[in-house]
Parts: sequence; C-alpha cells; structure tokens
Amino acid sequence: MARAAQLGGRFDTVVFAACVLVALVFGGLPEEMRDPVASALRRTIVAPLIGMQRGAERWRTAWIESERQTLQLDSAGMFRTKAKSLEMENDRLRRLLGLGARLDWGFVPAEALHTEGRTEDVITSLTLTAGSSRGVSQYSPVVTVEGVVGLIQTVDPKLSIAILYSHPDFRVSAMSADGGAFGIVYPHLDVSASRMSERYLLELRNVPFRSSLAVGTPIYSSGIGGAWPRGVLIGTVVDSIVETERWSRTYLVRPAVNPAHVTSVMILTTQRVGQGVGNIWTNTPPADTQRRPAADSAAAVAADSALQVAARRDSVRRSIARRDSIRRDSIRRDSARRDSLRDTTRPPPP
Amino acid sequence: MRSSLVARTAIMCALLIVMHYTVRPVLAWRTSIDFLLIALVFGSVRMRPAAAAVFGLILGLATDSLALGAFGAGALAATIVGFASSWLKAVFFADNFALNAMFLVAGKWIFDLVYVLMSRRMHGLEMMSQLLLWSPLAALVTAVAGVTVITMLRPLHQEKAA
Repeated sequence: MARAAQLGGRFDTVVFAACVLVALVFGGLPEEMRDPVASALRRTIVAPLIGMQRGAERWRTAWIESERQTLQLDSAGMFRTKAKSLEMENDRLRRLLGLGARLDWGFVPAEALHTEGRTEDVITSLTLTAGSSRGVSQYSPVVTVEGVVGLIQTVDPKLSIAILYSHPDFRVSAMSADGGAFGIVYPHLDVSASRMSERYLLELRNVPFRSSLAVGTPIYSSGIGGAWPRGVLIGTVVDSIVETERWSRTYLVRPAVNPAHVTSVMILTTQRVGQGVGNIWTNTPPADTQRRPAADSAAAVAADSALQVAARRDSVRRSIARRDSIRRDSIRRDSARRDSLRDTTRPPPP
Repeated sequence: MRSSLVARTAIMCALLIVMHYTVRPVLAWRTSIDFLLIALVFGSVRMRPAAAAVFGLILGLATDSLALGAFGAGALAATIVGFASSWLKAVFFADNFALNAMFLVAGKWIFDLVYVLMSRRMHGLEMMSQLLLWSPLAALVTAVAGVTVITMLRPLHQEKAA
C-alpha cells in the first residue's frame, strides 16, 4: 500500500516535471515553430470558445451602443425642448421690444417672477423686478405686447407685486373696438371646481342692453376712471352670460394674455397713463397673426437671401473703407450707449 | 474517482470555461474574474496531481494560443497551479468554503506571478503594480466569484447522499 502510494507520488512528480518541461520548451521555441502549434490550437479546441467570446462581445457592444443611442436621443429631445422654449421666449422678447419701440416712453420694463405656490393654483399675482426707484407706483398698469396683465398693488424700491386680471380685486373699464359698447371687466370667479380652466376668463359686465357684441369682438380698456389708458387690449368676447337683470348684458371674455407665459412685462407710468397710449394695441394684430402666413414664406426666403447678398456686398465695401472707420465706430458706440442709457420713463425731448 | 463524479467535474469545468468566454467579456472589468482559473482549481482538487498538471498544461496552452509572444507562459503557470492545488488538497483533505476561497486567491496570484515573470512583457513599476495591486484584486474578485459559482452549482457537482 505504502509502496503504491510512493510510486503514485513519483509518477505525479514525473508527469508534473514533464508538463513543466513542455511548457518551458514551448516558451523557448522560436516564433516560426511556435506559431503553427498556436495556430492549430486556435483552429481546433479554441475556435468554438472564440466564437462564444465574439458573440458575447458583440452583445456587449450592441448594449453599449443602445445605451449611447438612448442617451443621444434623450439629449436631442432635451435640446429640442429647450430650443422650443428659447424660440418662444425669443419671440416674446422680440415682440416686447417692438412694443417698447412703439410706446417709446412712459414705461418701465420688468421681469415677471412667478412666486405662487402649487402649480395647480390659479395665478393671481406676480412679482416684478422693478420698483419705486425706477418710477413704478401703486396702481400702475402692467401690460405686455398682447395686452392687459394687471395692476401694481405693492411697491418696494427694487421690487413690486402686481395683481393679475384673475385676482378678485381686479377691475378695468372696457369698451368694444368701435366704442359702441362700454362696461366693466371683472375676473370670472363663479367657476366650479371641475372647470377651473375657465377661471382665467373675464366677465364684461354692465354692457347696456342695446349694445350687442358678437363672439370674437376685441375688448379694450376705455380709459374711463383714469387707472388705465384708453386702447389697451383686454381680450375677445367668447360668449354671453344670461343675466337675471334685463337692462344690461354680461359677456365672457377670453383674455389676450396667458399668465403662465408672462415672463417680461412693461409697467406704464402715471404720466403715460394720463397722456394715453394712442392706437398701439388697436393697430396691433393678435399674436397669432403676427407670424408670416405659410404662403408668404417662399417670398420671404427669397427676400432674405437677397438681403443676405446685399449684406455681403456691403460688408466687402465696409472692409475696404475700414481704415477710416475708427472715428465713425467710436461715434456709433457713443450714440448706442446714449440710446441704451435713455430713460424710458420720461417723454423724449422735443 | 467514480465515473459520475468525473462527469460532474467535467461538466462543471466546461461550464466555467464557457463562462470565461461569455460572461467575462460582457462584464469587461479592469480586475476581471478568471473563470479559467476557477475551472482549473475546481478540477484539480478533484484529480490526482499528475492529471491536474496535464489539465493545467492543456488549459494554459489553449489560452496561450491567443496571446502573441507569451506562448508557454500560461501553460507553465496553469501547470504549477493545477499540480499545487491537487497536491495541497490531498494534504489538507477538506472541502469547505474558506479553503476553496484561499485556493482561488493563492492560485490566481501565483498564476499571474508566473505568467508575468515568464512572459517578460512588463518591467519595473508596471510589473510591480500588476503583481502587487491588480493581481491581488483580481485574485479576490476571482475568489468571490468562484466561491459564489461553486456554491450556486453545488447541486450539480455534489453527489447525493445514498
């Protein structure tokens, strides 16, 4: 028994030594002798294993690629959403700049901060980033290019708080575009919980019974009472409300301004309210119609390209005349600086 | 060794070798699990030292066929680890969790040591970081994975009590 174990142990050692020797020999073989052995192994016993490894690596690559594509799609979706919101904001700011140019004076531009709590609450007030230090006073009208937003309720030196047209205390005297019907605009408060979307509608009350308004009629501030200048767009008639009193009519008005989209506003100064705003809003088409119709787009593109060609020629001409431009540039910069520092709250000098 | 035990051991080793070429590329960790070494140690402790040495030599040569310029290094390392595992198992004569883990840690590290020294591809700091940092980490990962796999597949490789 012991002899058999001893023999077995010797046999193990001999085999082990032989294996080590084989491994060392293979390690020490020159490359041209090693390669056929390695190649034979690769083509026989290792081939199915390599096939499995290739499959596993393909699967991993496909998985990583799929994750990368998902990430790219997510990023693209995010960029598209951001681009859309930027486009909308850009559009609003452009129109606000257009309003600023039309108003020319008597306004304070401000940013609107939505500071109310839960998102499902009806927005009834806004914090504005302009205060008494810039000429804002209590009850100053707040407008956007679309029309009436609200009234300043509280004024601090740097900030002010405005109530929106949806606030229960909001009132504005109103009239139809032709001046044929007058009334007072109130917020539409009598709304059931299931129809909260109608909470942002307005009511044009106390319209004389003889004055009938069709659906779609624009309603403007009438200027009566002096709180609002005449001619600021409030909204359009969407329906009439049946009243128990038979001597006046009440209409439901869809406001021109969506409070959720208000990010930049203009606060009209008292002086400007007194002098009026002319026909800025009465001549402005509704926001939707300000965009180019699709039929005009081809002509617009052609006009744009013609303008680009002209601009290119102009830039070549300017580059030739650049030597004399330093003085002109400094004059231009001075005038631009003067323009940017211009006080929009006071009327321009005659 | 009875034929059923041989078959079970062969199936387990084949399964682990397949895992080396399917699971490892999917995980693609820096300190990867060496399923071949788990197969080698698992098979060796159930064989005579001579058979374990031959098993190691074949396994090593198969892996070396894919490594350019290191042919023989893996074969030598696997032969040493296989023989040592089988011989040590005969000395300790126990099959428990800690012993298996210890065999795997030591086996993997010795395999890497022999392979790195024999292949002569690394030098200086690179070799030191490989042997003192990455190899011990890979040995630990391999031991954890090996013990887990062996425990999970225990019904496959253990004989039922009569």
